Amino acid sequence: MVEFTKQVGNKIGLHLRAAGEFVKIAAQFTSEVRVYHGDRYANGKSILGLASLAAARGANVRIEIEGPDEAAARKALEALFDAKFYEE
Amino acid sequence: MSHPPKRTLPVRVLLEDTRGALQLELVNGIDEGPLPITVTDIHRPGLALAGFMQNYLNERIQVLGETEILYLNTRTEDVRREAVARLMSVPVPCIIVTRSLEIPNELLQSATQHGVPVLRSVMLTTPFIHELTKYLDDRFAPTTEVHATLVDVYGVGLLFTGRSGIGKSEIALDLVERGHRLVADDTVHVTKIADDVLIGKGNHHLRHYMEIRGIGVINVQDLFGIRAVRVQKRIEVEVLLEDWDTKKDWNRSGLDDRTASILGVDIPQVGIPLFPGKNITVISEVIAMNHMLKVYGVNAAEKFNSLLIDVMQSDRQTKQYLRYDTE
Repeated sequence: MVEFTKQVGNKIGLHLRAAGEFVKIAAQFTSEVRVYHGDRYANGKSILGLASLAAARGANVRIEIEGPDEAAARKALEALFDAKFYEE
Repeated sequence: MSHPPKRTLPVRVLLEDTRGALQLELVNGIDEGPLPITVTDIHRPGLALAGFMQNYLNERIQVLGETEILYLNTRTEDVRREAVARLMSVPVPCIIVTRSLEIPNELLQSATQHGVPVLRSVMLTTPFIHELTKYLDDRFAPTTEVHATLVDVYGVGLLFTGRSGIGKSEIALDLVERGHRLVADDTVHVTKIADDVLIGKGNHHLRHYMEIRGIGVINVQDLFGIRAVRVQKRIEVEVLLEDWDTKKDWNRSGLDDRTASILGVDIPQVGIPLFPGKNITVISEVIAMNHMLKVYGVNAAEKFNSLLIDVMQSDRQTKQYLRYDTE
């Protein structure tokens, strides 16, 4: 299992479109993706789950990835955060 | 597969096509004029008859109503002859007299000499022009054929597309079973009747026949009755059926609408991944209902998102305020 924390960097936070980009990437891997924001948890392949975390700009989210392609999944998801969900 | 719109219309075909609707009779036996009909507009040549020849739109069908005929009938024979000569000084596709009015001799003779068809209708001029324009618009409208299945789902025309054998007909059958109506299967004939309106209908001969793999050819109307079919329907949403592919970019949020273009008209396109056991019928009904909601101004994805953004903003403000003094 790999685990890392990332800050939500885009202006409006992890809204529906950003969550959509996240699940599109997460769904390409067989590994399980778990996302935590404070005490809230969401499956990284569920768009409504991610959106309901209501992770605003500046929020730190902790991501756990577990499975055969966890390293590649981590790299792809980190890149998405670094690219601010392609929004800015 | 798209072929260009029919660009010319012989008077003979106009007569055949509109026998009931326009009640036209051919007066001088000429059914092919010096010019074919090429435009949907109609011209009333009153001013040309009176001598004003600028902007005499001779390439159009010339419609003479009560005013034009009354004008001719109240002139002296010489003036009438001159007026008719002006009308015939350039080729016209045909002359149509409405209201069963008697056609002045000079007009009939001159037209016949110039090989111009003269037709007459019992209809009044304004309703006649409306009907004729409707027919011409339809006749000259761009058309194409698409390999697809068209079903009316809750009054929304869903055009199912996708590779051969993916199950378009089976989905249509399932929708019919649930009370929706089949318009066309396999080949849909599409007509663009306005800048943003596409009408789809089936092949005239194959009407409501369908091939189901494993069964063969069936007739949906015979099996399910008249309520299960309709002749034509506006095409409103394309449902593109695709093989399931984990790598593909399926629309997850519903915020970014895709469109497909048919005859230059953009319609919303929904790509649906297929795999065994998936209930595409219910999904089709949801696509239809969601489309209607959007038409009525309710966009679920956008509504949810703005709610979410509000929540995130107010969370932040509260946190900022309570930074050192949590309640």
